[in-house]
Amino acid sequence: MNYVIAGYSIVLGLLFLYAVQLIWRRRRLNRLVALALSEADAADAAANQRAEDGP
Amino acid sequence: MIRQSAKAMWTTRIIGIAALVSVAFTVWLALWVTPPDVVQGNLVRLVYLHPAVAWVALYLAFGLAAVASLLYLWPRTRSLFWDRLAAAAVEVGVVFNVCTLISGSIWGRPTWGVYWTWDARLTSTALLLILFLGYMALRRVPADPEVRAKRCAFAALFAAVDVPIVHFSVLWWKTLHQGATVLNPDLSPQIHGSMAWTLLLGFVALTLVFFWMLLVRYRIGSLQDQLGTGELDTAIRQRQAEGVVSHPVSSETPRTPVSVASSVVHAPVEPVATGAGKASVAAPIREVLR
Repeated sequence: MNYVIAGYSIVLGLLFLYAVQLIWRRRRLNRLVALALSEADAADAAANQRAEDGP
Repeated sequence: MIRQSAKAMWTTRIIGIAALVSVAFTVWLALWVTPPDVVQGNLVRLVYLHPAVAWVALYLAFGLAAVASLLYLWPRTRSLFWDRLAAAAVEVGVVFNVCTLISGSIWGRPTWGVYWTWDARLTSTALLLILFLGYMALRRVPADPEVRAKRCAFAALFAAVDVPIVHFSVLWWKTLHQGATVLNPDLSPQIHGSMAWTLLLGFVALTLVFFWMLLVRYRIGSLQDQLGTGELDTAIRQRQAEGVVSHPVSSETPRTPVSVASSVVHAPVEPVATGAGKASVAAPIREVLR
């Protein structure tokens, strides 16, 4: 039975770790894309403000 | 495609929950409910796991990678969507292939007396792992996305030739590995009762796990491409057209994780359809993955 428990623990453990790593990677990339867009918005807002303030 | 569509998000969640429940149910049946085998004793419990992970790796993951690669190479269906799908399937397949070799070795030690032997089935499965690791290494070689996709598609098709060799190795050569229990030439399963149902549930559970991992891994590939190519610019321009942003985007817009520090802001972003290409056949699948 030890071999059975070892087999299930290793295989399911490996799949679990891979799943956690996938979630972590997706979350990180989602944040990176959102941040890139928000920074573009901020730069645009600053440009608008400068245009309104005039020379 | 910056923000995942609600449909794709819910599909991923539902498949994930179904996978988790079915895996738990399979483990319960396999370890506590089903009886020991007359010949193998308790070791038969590993049989509910090992063929299921092998099924996912060989037939689902690498089969899907081969089909997606073929569709990428076919001029009428050429789209980077198929390349991303193949890359996702290969990465998940490699993890399942490793699980196949580990669970097989653990079963082999008390049954055959050794963890590893240069048997035709074992060797061809290990070769399959090496070939697809080569595919993953090839993807990391810097190149134009189209060039990379084309060379990877050829590599996947080359590696997939080993899949039928693995399947038929127990018939073509005299091997230590037992023949197919379910998918044998007569298509008459050699397993019955609660053992058969547990085996079947194991296949369903790990298939669900595979599809959940595939969806998440595809999304990762899609986001990586957006950060690495001009798709982010396309998304921003679409927002400009909608009046959210009024000026052209600065050329200093960050493209890589290097410029991203701590202040992460979740800006509301409208979904953008990108990479439609010529592959109308991919549209329904893309809709789920998006």
